[in-house]
This record gives sequence, structure tokens and C-alpha cells, in this order.
Amino acid sequence: MATSAKKIFELFVSKVPWTLSSKEMKEYFGQFGQVKKCLLPFDKETGFHRGFCWIGYTSEEGLQNALQKYPHTLEGATLQVQRNRKVFVGQKTNKEVPEES
Amino acid sequence: MAALLRSARLLKCLPSGLCLWPYAGLRHYAVIPEQKGPAKDESSLGVRSKQAQQFDWALAKLDSSVRRTGRVTKTLLMRIFHDICRTGYPSGNQALLLLRSCGSLLPEVPMAERSELARHIWDKLKELGASYDASHYNALVKVFLQNEFKFSPNEFLAKMEAAGVQPNRVTYQRLIAAYCNAGDIEGASTILGFMKSKDLPITEAVFNSLVTGHARADDMESAVSILSVMKGAGIEPGPDTYVALLNAYAERGDMEKIRQTLETAGSTDISLMDRDLMQVVFSLAKAGYHQHVPSIVDLMRHERGYVPDAMNLCLSLITQGHEDTAFSVLKTFPTLQQENESGDSNNLGNFFLRHCVNMNKPVEKLARYCQELQDSNCHAAPLQFTLYCCLEAKNTATALELMKIMKEQGQPIRPHFFWPLLMQHVKDRNTVGVMEVMKGMQELGVPADVETLSNYILPAFPNVAVARDTFKVVCFCVHVTFLADKENVTFWEHLAGLEENQLELSLSAPQSHPPTHSHGPGVTFYVLVSISVSLLSTEGVSYFLYNLIDSMSEAEVQAQEEKLRQYFNQLKSMNIVIPVNIYRGIRNLLDSYHVPELIKVSSDSPSTRKLAELKAEGKPVGPTLKQLILSLCSEEKLDAALELKSQHAADMATGGYAALIHLCCRHNNVDEALKLKGELSHKDPSVSLDSTKSIALVKALVKHDRMEEAVDLLKEMKEKDVSVVDTAVTLLFHTLNAAALKGDVAAVRQLQATVFTLGLTKPTANLCSPLITAHLQTKDLSGALDAAMECQKQYGHLPRIHDVICGLVENGDTELLQKAMDFVSQERGEMTMLYNLFFAFMQTGRHREARKIIETPGLRARAGRLQWYAEKCVAANQMESLESLVEMTAKLFECDRDEMYHYLLRLCKNTNDWRKAEATWTKMQEENVIPRERTLRLLADILRSNGQEVPFEVIVKCSSYVSCSCLVCACRSLFHSSLCSEAYSELKNMDRKGEALGPSPYSALIRALLAEGNMEDALEVQKIATTHIPHFKLNDIANSLLIITQAKKNLTKDALATLKSMLQADQVPSKLSITRLVQSLGSHGDIAGIQDVEALMKGLGNPLNLSPMMFVNNTAIARIKNGDLDSAVEGLEAIYTSAGEGSQPASMAFVFRKVLEEKNITALDKLSAMAERLANHFASYGPASDLFIQLMDAGMKEEAKFMLARCSAVAEQREALVSYMSRLSRTPGQLCFLALSLLLILSFSFSLNFFDWVCLTVLARSTALDNDLASAKALYQQMQSEGVEADELCLKRLAKLYKSAGESVPFTEPPVSVSLHMPFKFQAHNIHM
Repeated sequence: MATSAKKIFELFVSKVPWTLSSKEMKEYFGQFGQVKKCLLPFDKETGFHRGFCWIGYTSEEGLQNALQKYPHTLEGATLQVQRNRKVFVGQKTNKEVPEES
Repeated sequence: MAALLRSARLLKCLPSGLCLWPYAGLRHYAVIPEQKGPAKDESSLGVRSKQAQQFDWALAKLDSSVRRTGRVTKTLLMRIFHDICRTGYPSGNQALLLLRSCGSLLPEVPMAERSELARHIWDKLKELGASYDASHYNALVKVFLQNEFKFSPNEFLAKMEAAGVQPNRVTYQRLIAAYCNAGDIEGASTILGFMKSKDLPITEAVFNSLVTGHARADDMESAVSILSVMKGAGIEPGPDTYVALLNAYAERGDMEKIRQTLETAGSTDISLMDRDLMQVVFSLAKAGYHQHVPSIVDLMRHERGYVPDAMNLCLSLITQGHEDTAFSVLKTFPTLQQENESGDSNNLGNFFLRHCVNMNKPVEKLARYCQELQDSNCHAAPLQFTLYCCLEAKNTATALELMKIMKEQGQPIRPHFFWPLLMQHVKDRNTVGVMEVMKGMQELGVPADVETLSNYILPAFPNVAVARDTFKVVCFCVHVTFLADKENVTFWEHLAGLEENQLELSLSAPQSHPPTHSHGPGVTFYVLVSISVSLLSTEGVSYFLYNLIDSMSEAEVQAQEEKLRQYFNQLKSMNIVIPVNIYRGIRNLLDSYHVPELIKVSSDSPSTRKLAELKAEGKPVGPTLKQLILSLCSEEKLDAALELKSQHAADMATGGYAALIHLCCRHNNVDEALKLKGELSHKDPSVSLDSTKSIALVKALVKHDRMEEAVDLLKEMKEKDVSVVDTAVTLLFHTLNAAALKGDVAAVRQLQATVFTLGLTKPTANLCSPLITAHLQTKDLSGALDAAMECQKQYGHLPRIHDVICGLVENGDTELLQKAMDFVSQERGEMTMLYNLFFAFMQTGRHREARKIIETPGLRARAGRLQWYAEKCVAANQMESLESLVEMTAKLFECDRDEMYHYLLRLCKNTNDWRKAEATWTKMQEENVIPRERTLRLLADILRSNGQEVPFEVIVKCSSYVSCSCLVCACRSLFHSSLCSEAYSELKNMDRKGEALGPSPYSALIRALLAEGNMEDALEVQKIATTHIPHFKLNDIANSLLIITQAKKNLTKDALATLKSMLQADQVPSKLSITRLVQSLGSHGDIAGIQDVEALMKGLGNPLNLSPMMFVNNTAIARIKNGDLDSAVEGLEAIYTSAGEGSQPASMAFVFRKVLEEKNITALDKLSAMAERLANHFASYGPASDLFIQLMDAGMKEEAKFMLARCSAVAEQREALVSYMSRLSRTPGQLCFLALSLLLILSFSFSLNFFDWVCLTVLARSTALDNDLASAKALYQQMQSEGVEADELCLKRLAKLYKSAGESVPFTEPPVSVSLHMPFKFQAHNIHM
């Protein structure tokens, strides 16, 4: 039923300033490749996001492009960007923007 | 020497003194964000902290916050206060800690509020049974003084006396200060009179207060004259005196006098710290002389610790309404020069902005501060940060204003900026608040996007319709119109999306973990034993045995004693001998487990007779001989051993020689040892002695001045590559030290050089020290210093430098001392040098010089060094030296005062000097030190053992073994019920003997008993506890358990009463306890009771998140129970019909289940009629599907079928049915067929579609779980006949089933990597489960 086994090309971004929302993150990281997924969890108690974010690219290329740039400065703040190591499970704050390509 | 002191005082100019600076600063900034907005109301705080249950952690945090930053946040304080209230037994020092924290430690809280807080805490803790002693009263006065709270000292004294607490010197001192602060010299004199009549010493503090007193009485002349009075009384005016005087001038704005006073102070060698000057700044600001503040601020030297102090000053100033002054102080903060490497920008002043927001300062000011901070490059994004603080504090008005300013500056404003504000309103269901924020959004031109609407706006309204109406009313059209027009579609789609999410959640509900089988130790044990015996070698068995016993707990070993014994015997019968060292290890373990009987792995000592026998028989005697020699050696029988050796020289092995050589060394018989060694190497040149024995031989050689041979031996060790063990290193040190004590510098040097150059061991401070010792022994200080310097250069160690410096100070050899100090500060830094000098002065009794050193600005406490010296004093019984150490370090930055006083008390304990101990306690109060419990215990111990009354309450410490074990058992009893009853009987025994415990063991035991449902015993324990502890109360966990137990035992009235008393005591019941209580009330038909509970729960500050249906369902049950079927049906029906569309009330399955369980057919008929009515007429399908599922669950398939026929809509209740199916599929076994039949029922009622497909997947999974191939086959056939395409996963599972049953797979098996790409999201979830 499924066409091919899909690999995930994900970044883990931390130190995201509170002023940015997933829209801005997606726009910014979109310059390196097509962003399939942008997950910036918000805390339902406080209304602020938690300061970290996952960016999923459709291809390895986008991921590599993003990793090669240093530093990632967005609106005066330096984001910490690394390849996502842990698979993220059990997301309760559903801020997912899934987009089928 | 004077030059030295001068150079020390100039420390702050040295670059190395400054280098630590920014870090200290950074850390303190980092501390700030832990405060979170304004304090929430008390009850919600209480609940939150209760959940955290981290009381000890919080207490330590408070303590460390005070020690490190000089302040605490109100949130933290309140949290700890509530924790203490909840646990119910405030101890003396907890109370002291809380009370003390209500003064200047709360710079962020207005003074009046602080005093109010102190009173509140005082009363509340008293109510909870805290007993107050003089230290508490003193702390309260101090807090009043700090808060400038007006009170009558005389009344205070009267109250104290009425409470039976004797005021002490500190009390009087502080009351004098209280009078003086009000300018009441007469009042102060009366108290002075009391002091004189009681023959209490008048200290500097009293005079300082009098300076303030006269000044406040507008008599500066008398104020100044106090200084000469002091001198006349033999008390030198200290820094505090000058601060009092300076404050007096500051209150008058007299800068000229301030300058003069500062000069005078400087000329009399009084050093005023930055902290002192900050007081002057505060006085100036309060008196309205803002203009003079900068000139004082300029005088500050930015000592270490400046930043936290200055932050506190700023916070206080802001709180008092002098934010502009605070800002001018902030601007003098040393800017953090280097930005960190990642390029993160500065954020100086975060704490300032946050506090301004919290204090509701006007927006214009905030904007100005932000602008200045940004312009001066102190802060990269101050406006954004300020906005963040506003949002955090839910300060809507200021936040909106700030956003306007940001917008004007061209900064983006985004929808999610409003979420924190909306969040709160959504929680409160405050539609007016939501509208206000939305209006603000509109004004700022920020459209509310779909996310904002659906997550943060709509949930505040009861339903969409109301929201739409509200929006219409305020003509909120521009961005929200799509609610009504074509974009509606998007929105509804989004809502639909939400529903899907919920579905997803219900499917991904946590899977129940398989019950963990804790293998009893017995099982493991047997398995292991059999393995070990059959597989392992002798040594393996020994190690196994050791590890086995090591891994078993004491209780296990005791329980398995018999088995272990069998095992030992078995081993013995198998002729397995355990090597001695492992045997020792095992013996130690068994000893520590208190099973000494087990130590019977006896090793029969062979006798000489046996040896002879063996020899006669011509058998090899080697091992026996060795054992014999070893045993002779251990008995120190040198001659016998040597004789034995000579008899059997041919059979001697290495081990025997080694033991003999060692023995010779011990007996100082070097020649014999060397001879033996010669024999040994003759026999086997490759053999080498182990390091311990070699070094022992070296030691013996050195003792006899046979240096050459010793060095040769060391070289030989290196050649033979002997690894040096720790004990050998220690031995080596003793060797060197022995030589050093003889003053033999050359020998020590030679040995040291050999050892280190050979690399036998790493040079350590300890190993280096004998060289210096040797020099010191010959009184050659210069040589000692040179040697120490040489060690530092060569090996990086500076051994015995303290002794060297002491010697130099003693001799007054300034030149050498200078050299030493230069060297130390160059190699180890200024700080180490200062400490070295300080301790040298202390050691030699030059306390004046020592004081100068320790008061060096910028010096901070080094706990390790202070401990070292204090321990030295304690060990050497040097009370005077220790006392001055404690006194001198009073103002040392970051000095742990309790620790210091603890040293002092330990020495008092050693000397059994209770008077000194009592005086120490008074001093601690004077200094506002919060003693740790161990300090109080020590103090109480000293007083008690001298027959003195202990003037404070001490925590009962479980001293006896019994009570400890009782506590431990009680805690563990949650898992071992037998232990629980044991603990209970133990406790009763103790009670009979009149022994009491602290409240926590009682409480633990009660909880444990209740957890078992053993209410009678629990109440008995409570009774016992109450007799010992008058204020003993159950805590909330225990009370909740009590409610559950009572409910279970059908004592509903009692349970209700317990709940009421709990709520009165501000305790929070557990959710489970309420549920059980309401259920019990329901089954008793007690409608009023249920209503009672519901009302009580609504009154709770922070709701427990109970389902409202619980009350509804149980009310219905109660009505049914009372035979009032009609009103039960009416009540339920009303709930379902009144609920708007979209918000379906939760399930009433509970009612159906109960009715089915009780087989109440009449009720069932009525209820099912109601469910059908609701489904068919009101489109409310919840009850019908609940009923259907309950029928299925009860195995009433026929009824379910009929029901479905009558009410076909049930089959469309996807969500309910799918979650039911998935629940079923997770229960392996019997229900599978039930589910199958459900599927059959459903399949005829409507066509197969995606939904059925889900069911099939679920089913396939459940059959796979059961390994039930037959049903799986049937299922697959059915799927095929129905034309359902089985997905890969389904097929994969089937294939696996076939394979595991050994049958061939009748279809093409999908490839190995099953893709997780599923057409629907929740299936993917399903697979993950």
C-alpha cells in the first residue's frame, strides 16, 4: 500500500526565542530545502512555546544545507541547530503542521 | 609585614582578582528567571507544590538562595510555607527559616506586605504546633526592624514573657534598635536598664542603635558623641557604627558630612564594604536625595558579591517606588565584556525590567528604560523581554501598550504573542477578558488565525454559537467573519481535525504493561547455584559466591540462610576451597548482614604433623608447607617459620619466601630478609616480590641507613615492572617520613628522586611532604621553603606550605615571607596566598593581622580551606583560635555560617563546655543564622548532658535501633504486609514502654496500614500518635486513604465527615478518594450526600478535574436504589438534552453497568427506553452506544442485536465503537469471539468501508496476540469474501501466525520492511502501540 519506506530528515532546533512562531521557523528553514514538518510545541499552561522545535525536510539535501550554515541567526537571536537524534514520540501539544508533499 | 598587608588590600586592582567576575555576575543573572510572575493565590500554589512533593528540595533551595543571592522570591517562600503547613509538623528551625525570610530577604515585596506575611506565618505555624523559643522572637523583631514595622517593644516583651520565653541579650539589643529607629531614646534607655539589671554586656550593636536613635531624635551632636562614649567604654567603633552615622547624614542629605565621615572611617582603618555603602544609597533615595546617589555609587569598589547585593538594592528601590534611582544603580553594573562565542547578545537588566513589570510601573518608564538599555548596548531586545514579563504576569493593559510601542518601532507583532493572555481567560472561561484581548489584537492589526481561534479563543465559550453571537455583538467582523461565510469551511474542517485528534488520543491510550514478575530470590538462587556448581571453576565458584551474597539484600540473605548453608556444605563436599581473600570478603559481607552463623567456611589449619606425614608418604608438600608458613607468619613466629623453612628448603615456593621476607622486615631483621630474597631469586630469578613487600623491605633498609641497597631495590622493582598498589604508596610515605623525622634531608631527597624519576608512583602532595618535614625538623625554614618551591615546580605540589609560612611568621622573617607569598600567588593565585597567610596568622595567634587579611575586599569563602583549619582547631582543642575564626568570617562572602558554628559547637562538645555552647547559640541569633537540625541537636546534646534545660524544641531523632527499623518497616510495608503488621506491633510495644517517635514514622505507618485497608489499626496508631504529639494530624494522603477505606467498608457517613474535616484543614483529597466516596454514597442511595460532596468540590480552589458525570451517574444510581426510577431517568435525560451540540456529556456507562450487574430489569427497561428516545429524537447517541457496549460486555449478545435493530444510529458511533474495539483487542483470549460477533452484527447493517477496515486491523491484531490461527483464518476468509483488501501489516501478522504454526502461507507475504505509511493517521498510531 505504501509507496516507499520514508526516511526522516529532521533537525532539532533549540534556543528559539519566544517571539518566533512555527510560521517564522518554517519560513526561515524553508530556504534550505522543502520543509515537510515543523513542530514547535506550545505549553498549554503558559501559552508560551517551549523554546525548541523540530524541522523535518523532505530530503537529506535540505537537512545538510541547513546543517552547513553557521550560525543560524533569526531576528537577532542565535538558534542552536543540530540533527535530530531522538525520535520524538507522544506529542501532546498538537502544533503539528503536517504537509503531504 | 605592613607592605604585605597593603598589597593584600589592593587585591581588587590585580587583574587576576577580577577575572572571576563576569562568571559570578552571569550566574546571578541566571538565578533571576526562577521567579514566575506575581504570587498566585495560596490554594493553587498549595496544590501545585503538593504534587511536586519536593519539600526537602525546596527547603534546601530556599536556604541556598539566601546564602547565594541574599534574597528569596515570595513564590518560593510561600510554596515552602504551604508544604510545611501540609506536612503539618513545623520544626523549630523550619519556622525560623520562614520567619527570617520575611524581612529584607524579600526585596521584591513591599514592606507592609512582608510584615503581614511574617505575622501570618507566625500565627499559622503556632496553630500547627510549632513551639517558639527566644530565637524565633528575636527573628521576628529583626524582621519587624527590617520592614520598618511600627510596634511597641514593651508590649512585645510582655507577650514574650507571657509565653514563658526569656528574652536574651539579642532580644534586648533589637528592641533597643526598635526604639531608636523611632527616635525614642527614652524607650531605649528603659531597655538598657533591663540589660544592666540583668548584667548583660552592652555590645557595639547597642551603641550603633543609639547613634541612629539620637539622629532620628534630631540630635546629631549626641549621635556623633556616641563614638567617643564607645571608645571610653573600651569598644572601638566598627564599620556598622560608621554606617549608622552615614545613614543619619544621608537622611539629612548632608553630603559634606558623609564625605568627612568616610574619610574618618578610612583613616581609622575601618573598611566599608560595598554592601555598607548600598545602605547609604538606600537611605539617600528614601529621604528623597536622589541627586546624591551617583557620588556614593562611584565610591563602590565592585567587590566580589557586588552584583547580587546591587541587584537586591535595585529591587528594593523599585519596590519602594524609586525605580529611577534603581536604574542609575543598574547602569553602574559592570557590563559583561565578552559576549559568549555563539554570539548571544547581552541581557543585562532582565531582573530590573521584570520587577518593574511586576510592580506595575508605567509603560512610559518601561519604554524609556528599554531604550536606554538598548542604546548603551546592555541589552539586545529589552522590549521583547519586557513584553515577555508582562505576558507572563498576564498584565494585559501593559502588554498591549508595549506591543503598540514595538509596532511603532517596526517590530513584528504575531498572533501567538496573545496566547499567554488568552490562555488564562480560557482557563477562567472569561469571555469578557477574551474579547478585550481580541479587541487589542484588532487594534494592533493582528488577525486571529485559525489556531488562535480554535485553541485560545473558542474554548472560552460554551459553544461555537455563543462565540459567534458574542463576536457579532461587538461587531467583530474583519477577521472573524469567516465564522459565518464561506471560510467557514476551513474552520469547520479544523474543528473536525480536532475531533480526529481526540480519536487518535483515545486509541493511543497507554497500553497496560504486562505485570512484572518479580522473581523471588529463591528461584534465581536455585538456578544460579546449579549453574555455578556445574559450570564454574573453583575460583569461579568463589567469585560467584561473593557476588551472589553481595547482590542479595540483608533481608534476602537472612531469609535464604538455610539455602546458603546447604550450598556451602555442598561446595565443601565437592572439595571446593575458597581462596582466603575471597573468604574474607564473604565473611565481611555476612558480618554486615548480621548472619555470623553462616561464617563457617572453616579452613583447617594444617599442622606440622600433617606435613611430616605427607613427606613420609612421599607426596608433594608444597601447598601444605606454604600454608603452614603463612599461619606461622600471621602468628608472628619468626624463628619457628625460619626453622621450618630451613627444614624444607627444597620445597619452599615463592609465596612462602614472600611471607617470610615480610615477617623479617616487620621484625627489623634486614639481613635475614636480604638473605631470603637472595635465596628466592637464586631459585627463580624471574620472580619478584609484590610492591607492598618490596617497599616494606625498602623501609627496613632505610631504617638501617642502607640507602644504596634501598635505591637498588627500588630500581629492581621498576625493572621487574612491579605495579605499586595504594597500600604500598602509603607505606612508601611512612618510609620517607621516618627518614624525614630523623632530619635526614639527603636520604629523603635521594629516595624521593628515585621513586619519582623511576615513575614507580605519581608524585602526590603527601609523598612530597617528607622533604619539607626533613627541613623543618632541622629548623631550616629557608631550605624548607626552597624545597616546597622546588616541589611545586617539579611536581605541581606545594606540600606543608602552611607549616613553612607559620614558621616564617613566627620568626618574623619578612623577606622570606614575601618571597613565599609572591611564589604562592604566582603559582596558585591570590586567593590561595591570602588564605595561606590568614591561616598562618591564625595559627601563630596574630589575630589582628589575620582579620585584616580575611577582610580583604573580594575574598570569598573557600569551604574546604575553612573546614581544614576548623577541623585542625577541633582536633587540637584550640577554642580561642576557632572562636576568632568563626567571628572573623562573619562577613566573608558566601561563608556557610551554620557550618562554622557547628565546628565551634563540636569543640564545645569535646570540651563539654555548655556555657560556651549557650553563648554560641546567642551569637547565632545575633547573626541571624538559621541552624541546621544537626547543629541544634548537637547543642541540645551538650546542654542536656550537662543537666541544662534545652530552651528550644529539638526534632526527635530515632535513636534506638528499634524505632529506626520500625520506620523503615513502615515505609516498606506498602510492599510487604507482614512487615507492616510487625511495625505496628513494634510500635505498640514502644508505646507501652513509653517511647515516642517523631510524627513522620507514625504518619508513614498509618498510611501503610490504610493502604492495606486496615482501618482499625491505623486509627489506633493515630491515637498513640496523638498522645505523644498533641497536634498530630493525618496528612492528605493518609486522609484520602482513610476516606477510601471508609467508603469501602460502607461507612459513608464517616467518610463524608473525614472529607469535610480535611477540607477544613486546607488539605486536598485525592481524586480516587472522592470517586470512591461518591460511588459509595450512590450505592447507598444517599442523594443529599452526593450533592454535599459536589458542592464541596466546587468550593475547592483548584478543582480536582473530576468528571461532572460522576456526580450525575451516582445520583441516578442513588435514585434507582431508592426506587425512584422516574426522577433518575428525568435527571439523566435532562443532562443529555440540555447539552448543546458539539459538547456531548461524558458517558453514563457506569449507570448501565451497575443496573446490569444488579439485574434490575425494570430499571434497565426504563433506561434503555430513555437511551433510544435520546438517540432517535434528540440525536444524542452517547447513552445508546454506552448501553450497547455494556450489553456486549455483559455478554448479552441478543439484547445488543435487538438494540441495534431498534436504534441503528448506534452503529455509526465510530469513536465509541472503535475505542471499544481497540480495548477489546488488547485483552487477549475470551473476548475475541465476542468482538467477532460484534463485527458480524455491524457488517450487515452497513457497507464495508474504512471503518470496518479499522475493525479488521484491530481484530487481526487481537488474533495475532492470542496466536489463534483458527480464528485468524476465519477472519481472513471473511475479509476476502467481503472484498476487503487486507493491508500489509494485516497480512504480515497473518503470515507470522501461519509460520509459527508451521503452515505455509497461502498468500504472498509482504516484504520485510513494513512501511508505516498508512492512509489514515490513527492507524499509524495503532501500529505503534
